[in-house]
Amino acid sequence: MLAPVLSLLGRRLLAAIPILLIVSALLFCVLRVLPVDPAAMSLPPGATTAEVEAQRREMGLERPLAVQYLIWLQHAVHGEFGRSIHYRRDAGTLVAETLPATVELAVMAMAIAGMLGLCGGLLLFRLRGTSVETVGDLVSMLLLSIPEFLWGLILLFLFGVVLHLLPFTGRLSPGFMRPSITGFLLLDTLLARRSDMLCDALAHMALPAVALGLAFSPTLMRVLRSSLFDVYAEDFITQARLRGISETRILLGHALKNAALPTLTLAGVQFGFLFGGTLLVEIIYSYPGMGNLMVDAVRNADLPIIQAVGLAYCVMVLLINTAVDSLYLVLNPKLRVR
Amino acid sequence: MTASPRALRSGRVLAGLALVLFVGICAILAPLIAPHDPAEQNLLAILLPPAWALDGSPVFPLGTDSLGRCVLSRLIYGARTAMSVAIVASVGAMLLGSILAHVCGYFGGALDWVVGRAVDVWMSFPPVILSLILMVGLGTGLDKMILAIILVDWTRFCRVLRSEVLVVTQRDYVTAARLLGFTHWQTITREILPATLPLLITLLSLEMGIAVVVEAILSFVGMGVKPEQAAWGQMIADARQYVYQSPWNLLLPMLAIILAVSGFNLLGDGLRRVLDVRLAELGR
Amino acid sequence: MDNVLEARDLAVGANIDGALLPALRDVSFRLAPGRILGVVGESGAGKSMIGRAIAHLLPPGFAITAGSLEFEGRDLTDMRVRDRRALLGRAIAFIPQGPLSALNPMATIGRQFNEHLARQHIRRRAGRRERALAMLAAAQLFNGSQVLELYPHQLSGGMCQRVLIAMAFASHPRLVVADEPTTALDVTIQMRIVELIAQMQRQHGTALIFITHDLRLAAHICDDIMVMYAGRAIEYGPARKVLSAPAHPYTRCLQLANPAVTAKGNALYLLPEQMPSLRELTRIPGCHFAPRCPVATRRCRLGEPPNIMTGARHWAACIRSEVAAKIEAPLELPVATAGAVPSAPLLEVQNLQKRYVTLRPMLGSATEITAVSNATFGIEPAELVGLVGESGSGKSTLARLLLGLEQPSAGRILLHGKDLTECSARSRRLRVANIQMVFQDPQSALNPRRRIAGIVTQAMEAGSLRAPWEERLERARVLLADMGLAADFATRYPAHLSGGQRQRVNIARALCKLPKILVADEIVSGLDVSVQAQLLYLLLRLRDEFHFAMLFISHDLAVVRHLCSRVLVMYRGEIVEQGPTESVFAQPQHPHTRALLGAVATDGSNINRNSGKR
Repeated sequence: MLAPVLSLLGRRLLAAIPILLIVSALLFCVLRVLPVDPAAMSLPPGATTAEVEAQRREMGLERPLAVQYLIWLQHAVHGEFGRSIHYRRDAGTLVAETLPATVELAVMAMAIAGMLGLCGGLLLFRLRGTSVETVGDLVSMLLLSIPEFLWGLILLFLFGVVLHLLPFTGRLSPGFMRPSITGFLLLDTLLARRSDMLCDALAHMALPAVALGLAFSPTLMRVLRSSLFDVYAEDFITQARLRGISETRILLGHALKNAALPTLTLAGVQFGFLFGGTLLVEIIYSYPGMGNLMVDAVRNADLPIIQAVGLAYCVMVLLINTAVDSLYLVLNPKLRVR
Repeated sequence: MTASPRALRSGRVLAGLALVLFVGICAILAPLIAPHDPAEQNLLAILLPPAWALDGSPVFPLGTDSLGRCVLSRLIYGARTAMSVAIVASVGAMLLGSILAHVCGYFGGALDWVVGRAVDVWMSFPPVILSLILMVGLGTGLDKMILAIILVDWTRFCRVLRSEVLVVTQRDYVTAARLLGFTHWQTITREILPATLPLLITLLSLEMGIAVVVEAILSFVGMGVKPEQAAWGQMIADARQYVYQSPWNLLLPMLAIILAVSGFNLLGDGLRRVLDVRLAELGR
Repeated sequence: MDNVLEARDLAVGANIDGALLPALRDVSFRLAPGRILGVVGESGAGKSMIGRAIAHLLPPGFAITAGSLEFEGRDLTDMRVRDRRALLGRAIAFIPQGPLSALNPMATIGRQFNEHLARQHIRRRAGRRERALAMLAAAQLFNGSQVLELYPHQLSGGMCQRVLIAMAFASHPRLVVADEPTTALDVTIQMRIVELIAQMQRQHGTALIFITHDLRLAAHICDDIMVMYAGRAIEYGPARKVLSAPAHPYTRCLQLANPAVTAKGNALYLLPEQMPSLRELTRIPGCHFAPRCPVATRRCRLGEPPNIMTGARHWAACIRSEVAAKIEAPLELPVATAGAVPSAPLLEVQNLQKRYVTLRPMLGSATEITAVSNATFGIEPAELVGLVGESGSGKSTLARLLLGLEQPSAGRILLHGKDLTECSARSRRLRVANIQMVFQDPQSALNPRRRIAGIVTQAMEAGSLRAPWEERLERARVLLADMGLAADFATRYPAHLSGGQRQRVNIARALCKLPKILVADEIVSGLDVSVQAQLLYLLLRLRDEFHFAMLFISHDLAVVRHLCSRVLVMYRGEIVEQGPTESVFAQPQHPHTRALLGAVATDGSNINRNSGKR
């Protein structure tokens, strides 16, 4: 069981290197055709042309693009992604500080989306042939039409502004001193045995995570349902019935595992999209993650940060895809044993 | 063909078409039906509620925003932005993606490999992040936004259509056409394309919904259209700061987005059923 | 002794577009313990509906509308769901058609067996495992403990079917329903599986319903046979009686339509048209077989015939049963007489080879598979050459090489002495004009979005050709007439055609430009016997008219013997034997040819065939 997964991980790691190289090169090119001059941006407004020229030379902007990229790459390999023009700090450090918040949010949202998708898919499937089947289908259709940032605003408006049930800014209420052990807030509060702080952090995370989960669950629901339909058209379900096995057992014991595979394939893609969705939710809930860092950087044309954050998103998506593929491998006997 | 009357008998297609046409007509007739210039500010009447509310004014049927601009007019002109992005960007992405998909799926070989790896690279980026970065590189504006969406979303068409082309190419009638002397071009256009067309149309309809969302997101973040142009995402971003004073300002553009997107989704889902397309992305 | 199963006037209705159509009518039979009932019929005859009715798993829209179906005295038709489920997998077991798809691909054989045995009140897990191993051994799977660890995709079709047979008999059922249990399997193991089922049935004293389209196979193992036509049982009787003295014209015609493997075939009997669909049934007055029946009279069209006893426990739904057994096939059809004058070979294949190399990038090793090795043969003008072999023996690869769909690794292909081996525009032009293919699966072979006229004249729009539509329609009409299809088919779509009709369109398309050679890949497999006979006759007639040669690929030796004057036998990519059909079949030289011939049921159907004459 372990060997194929390890070999998959190995292959993925190897495949990730060229992808990351290409992605970073593409990012580099895209950001260098920018109409703004990063050298001018990094100096106070009153700087003279000579000062700007000096700054350009210092930043290496006068050299050919390929050389600039290689220099950047050389630094990046050592963990230096350049100094942020706006924050005057190392971009890598900034990413490392904000990454855990985003990862926590995304993982929580994926769990919620997965749960909702599973329950919703089973429910939609059980509605088949009944009078409410179309209603269920149309509701899932409507849910599908509400993107994550609208969910964020709706929930914020409803639970935060109108009902005052849940907090909707930041990760913790003011007054808490967050322990920093791993950088992951939930984990840190657990390690520090601060259950009050854990609850507060969870309450802060509830709205953004649910908003994201809600936005991505309808696809999973509908795919699970249609996969179940496909599996039920197969012969072995009829054969299980002919052996007298009960319907519940057929659904949960035989069909669900078969239907999970195509759903999982799609979940990989969807979770990649979800990771991008954190950006919007973070903005709406002023959640101090990579998304807010990114948008700030975009507004300030802070190239080193955009570059580093873009790369971080890419790494995370590759990790998610690898995790999903490993799970697929573990679940699918056709790939595991030959 | 019997497809068109059959399509019009489906409730979903009709409902979707009605919603899309409604938004589309608003967009086309914007200068005629909008009561005000969307950029016209009236600082004496800011954050007015809709006309039916207690202190609403019939001059501004849906109230005004923080700069005293007419919300209804901005919604109508926002539809213009949304629809032009939806149509132009989707068709562009469709052309790029489906041409590559057909060529790669049919011929295979080195080009297929290269495009396949390109799709891998694209897929390793969340689309929101990728389009944001592209907007940084390209600069803001309607045309730039359309270009960014095409460059991000061609992979959606390419990925799904390529596997469909692979399936169709395996069919015996495609082999038969070659044996009867069809050239590659004839085989693709006369035998394969008619089989992939239903999927292509369905994807196109769904992509239009996605494009509306992306447009709203980019405008919301402030990286979309130029500030003077009306866009739903921008209206939402503005209204967020005044949510206590005027929830209407927030709710109306949200409603507009949901309306347009569910119109395209209903249309896509209905077409999918009528044209009998299998589409894993959407669940059947 | 009491009957295990007794059906009385069982009827199943199908609700299609608001109309209630009879899918099954007046089915009555008794099945005693330890007996085997064969249910025989062509596709659409309603034979599978009987098994489905027993389990109450009818397709959506179908329901039992009348009659009773008693299992050990309890009526299955109005039983509560729970009670019926309690019987299924215990007292009543099923053996499915497609063994590979009948097992859950995500669970090991052991888990599925265990789940099944858990319902048989075997408490201990170890006890269940022991029982599973014993049953697998009884089904001749002797490495049972290994099999239990495996997933279905790791087993062959034959092994899967053995597992399913072991599962079916594991509960000591009183009734087993086997629905076409060998159709999906390779020829060489079909007989062994049938014999295994019969053997298990004898050991357990089980009553067995054996559903099949193959009259000969049914006669091989069944005690009684029930022949179905258009939803009705039209003949019932002891197997030997039904075969030696059929009392219904349909049974007799079916028998005569089936080519024999044991002797150079007599002409086949050609049943005209096809079995009416459910919808058409309501429009046929009187006996539903009358429109196709060779001995029908005016009286037959007046009212539906009752079941008339013709002997002890033998009846038929026919008022002219006395003449049924006397029906004979027309004496002669165009018989393959090509090659009488030795001429220059049309197609020559010399030392043709095809190797596939699969690279395994991570391991750096390459595995080489030889799909075709050293094939040498020739085809003369207007000659019908059979190519037989098991699945995976390289038959289809050889065909693809001839057609230029694959490039050979070595060897030469010559057409009229001109080299076709090179992949060039010239050889492509030669091929397009001279070699055409008829495909196996008529579903996939016809573009569902084109009209029939467009399909059969597709060659007229290829390349730089732009034939006007009128001209094409004219050609299509001629071609359709040649195929025995009505002219109004020209404007229809493939979806409106039956399997046999599609296969005719498939042939018409290949013949549009009158090629010299046809390559036909399994074109009659999967078709019903009467449709198969029609197509074989059509091919012979067309050959006489258009003088094309044909490479006829088939796994069905009887069909090849009927049609071809020369035969090539392939085994593991090699042509192991070739020669005139008669001598190869009479004196097979290669062990594999003997194995292929030995695998076919030799039940003396030929004797039955002749007995009609006496």
